[in-house]
Amino acid sequence: MNRREFLQLTGAAAAGGALSSCTINPEKLIPLLVPPEDGSIPGVADYYASICRQCPAGCGIIVRVSEGRANKIEGNPLHPVNKGKLCARGQAALQALYHPDRIRQPLKRTGVRGSGEFSPVSWEEGLSLLAEKLKGMKTAGARKGMIFFTPELQGTILQLVKAFTEHFNGMHVPYESLSLESHRKASVDVYGRYELPDYDIGSAQYIISFGADFLETFVSPVRYGDAYGRMRRARPTVRGLFTYAGPRMSMTAASADSWLPVKTGKEGILAAGMAGVILDEELYDGPALNIYGLNVSELKAAMADYPLKRVAEETGLTERDIFSASRDFARLRPSIAIAGDTVAHQTNGIDSIKAVHLLNLLTGNFGKQGGVRFSPKDLKQTASSYSKLLDTIDDMSGGSVRVALFHGVDPVYALPKTSGFEKALGKVPFIASFSSFQCDTTRQADLILPDHTDLESWGEVIPSIGGDIGVVGTVQPVVRPVHNTLAFPDALLSLVKTEGGKVPGISAYGDYPAVLKEHIRQASGHKPGADFERVWTKTLQRGGIFKEDSKPVKSINRSGKFIFTVPRKAVFSGDEKQFPFHLHIYPSAIMFDGRSAHLPWLQETPDPMTTAVWGTWLEINPKTAGSLGITHGDLVEVESPAGSIRVPVVIYPAIRSEVMAMPLGQGHRNFGRYAAGRGVNPLDLLETVVDKENRLPALGATRVRIKRISKKGGLITAGHPDGSYRGELLEI
Amino acid sequence: MKHKRIIIISALFFAAASGLLFIYSFEAIFYFTVPVVERSPEQPIAFSHKKHAGKYSINCLYCHRYANISKVAGVPDMELCVSCHRFIARKKPGIKKLIGYWERKEPVPWIKVHDLPDFTYFPHNTHLRAGVYCDSCHGDVTTMDRIERVSRISMRWCLDCHRERDVSIDCLQCHF
Repeated sequence: MNRREFLQLTGAAAAGGALSSCTINPEKLIPLLVPPEDGSIPGVADYYASICRQCPAGCGIIVRVSEGRANKIEGNPLHPVNKGKLCARGQAALQALYHPDRIRQPLKRTGVRGSGEFSPVSWEEGLSLLAEKLKGMKTAGARKGMIFFTPELQGTILQLVKAFTEHFNGMHVPYESLSLESHRKASVDVYGRYELPDYDIGSAQYIISFGADFLETFVSPVRYGDAYGRMRRARPTVRGLFTYAGPRMSMTAASADSWLPVKTGKEGILAAGMAGVILDEELYDGPALNIYGLNVSELKAAMADYPLKRVAEETGLTERDIFSASRDFARLRPSIAIAGDTVAHQTNGIDSIKAVHLLNLLTGNFGKQGGVRFSPKDLKQTASSYSKLLDTIDDMSGGSVRVALFHGVDPVYALPKTSGFEKALGKVPFIASFSSFQCDTTRQADLILPDHTDLESWGEVIPSIGGDIGVVGTVQPVVRPVHNTLAFPDALLSLVKTEGGKVPGISAYGDYPAVLKEHIRQASGHKPGADFERVWTKTLQRGGIFKEDSKPVKSINRSGKFIFTVPRKAVFSGDEKQFPFHLHIYPSAIMFDGRSAHLPWLQETPDPMTTAVWGTWLEINPKTAGSLGITHGDLVEVESPAGSIRVPVVIYPAIRSEVMAMPLGQGHRNFGRYAAGRGVNPLDLLETVVDKENRLPALGATRVRIKRISKKGGLITAGHPDGSYRGELLEI
Repeated sequence: MKHKRIIIISALFFAAASGLLFIYSFEAIFYFTVPVVERSPEQPIAFSHKKHAGKYSINCLYCHRYANISKVAGVPDMELCVSCHRFIARKKPGIKKLIGYWERKEPVPWIKVHDLPDFTYFPHNTHLRAGVYCDSCHGDVTTMDRIERVSRISMRWCLDCHRERDVSIDCLQCHF
């Protein structure tokens, strides 16, 4: 090649490059074949009211839909629970709909169990396969042949699941990993009410929270967050005061006026001690106590062994702090004492909650504005039961269970490893799951019949607490199903139908949307016909039936007497000498109990206190860390009697020196690409049952020891450990 | 000295003028720089605006029916085309092609001539309401057999018009 040829060639190449950069890749303008029937206009968004189902709170949402694609979720201003507000988990629910790892069609297992090898089948094939298994079981006539695991359900779905399990001789086991079982049990003993109490935080003057993170995760955080704002700022002359008692400062505690760093498991004793002060100082509401059926001398007798000095010693607080908190609580009425998750998950949880409720009774705060309230109707929801769940493990390993069905729960992840749930499940001949994602339990399934996600389905949600509000929220599909999925209730109905069976009170209406419509008609009290059609449309537009009932329950109707005893000593798994630290497992404000871990928006949302993202961490007091030679970001091994895990360390000044805290929610083995293998599951450190008498989950009843492994913990935080991340943002 | 100053001033003036000329010529040579394939690409069906909008004076909004109520003008749905052409001019090759698409339940993959980047918010309805009618940007389509882009759709071109009409030129007016 001579020089001339070379120049010619390069010239031609350059010209070719220039030309090819001009030839654009034209965008296409694809018309619709027929215009949309509902009259929606391209480019103009539609808004649909529905209910958020990321946690049991049941907040109302409004979903923005453009050209048939949902693209934003906001709070519904008409809904009395959240009044237009929405938390991060609610906002992120959108990502479940378009998640790349959703199960897109029915799947049948082809490889060995747990290998994740599935092949697609048609819906007819999938449903008939399950129907066949169920049919065989019914003719065998064996009791408990089938177990149906679900979360706590309400309304028509509950009716349907119950009828379904009865039809097939099965057993329905509702389960929530952040169980409110202890709260319900305490509530029955103190107030004679099965439902959870609602706290009128917005009108209170003084609040003391015993480990209740009501601004993050506790029962209805958006509702309480709004109420908290009103308590602090909405009244011209009163700014409500807030004290938090617990071994770790949570985000809720960080919003308080004072923090009482009480020892783990001693929260109930603190509450009892405060009651003692109120009794001694005669700051109680005497007439109210008579109405509640409480006797001052009996209460004083119960407190005889616990003078203030002993309470201060046991709780690790000063007498002065306890005294002033008690005095403020009794004087600044209306005042509220709330017991939360971390208290409930101790072995003395029920007693502690009762002691906290005693404070509410002493100051006469029951049924009052700014106090503890119950709705007129005792909502008998199916509560989850831990011991019932543990019984199923024995049933499954005993071989009497032949079919296990799962919808919306992941017990393989949510139960401690020591429970042996996974092993027992392996003995069940046939497992079917209705999950939209391959969670740890669904991975074990033989057949997956994927449900729609929340934004594609019909349903109804009664909020977990409503107090004085009679609310039924309606869930409606905001988009057409993205994949080849089938609504869970319709799958159940068709299974019963193939059996030739009928669900009493439900089958007559045909498919599930019709069932729901009929149920809403009954709830709204309208006659069928054109009149109701209008009401139905309006109900869907508004997002539910919101009857504001302003008459809360004033009197306590309990069957027996409320006998108060000072909470007994909490029991811990692990010897104090071998395992010197308390493990404090708390529900994450971002991940809740782990059900939201598959959403990348939430994975990259910084934890409000540590700014950590994309993983699990262990919070250690700087003094303890110093004595152990551990620094921020180190990898440590946390060991308990039940097992050990490795996590990075966050140096966290706002925690007691003998306590180490870990958030719940990560450490899924499967659950889509964003959650699988990320972080660790602190439940692996727990023993299934710590206290043999009370078979309750004990997230807080474990002792641990730690060992430094290396410098590289792989901790990712949004802020700098030594300073405020806000400060860094300002420098930009 | 005076002479020198005049020279400087005139030189500056000349520089400014040539600069302006350069910018405007840049605008003017749009026709030469943008190739025909981009300015007026061949469409899958040789639809004539000259015939529909010109000869038969069909209102723009008859087909582009969302222009006055939505941010998008809306390309007519296939049913609308077929509703007339099931009966009109059925023998013509273009219409045969159209019916072919319709029977196969396929949309016609029209090639976009007027395109804005995704980071720009341009509502058609707001412009119509302000009296900026279709021809201000799209030109006189009644004379076009094949649709052709007559304006250089650039930010400066937008801003010129906004300034001329004393409309907001705040960034967030179009980019948010």
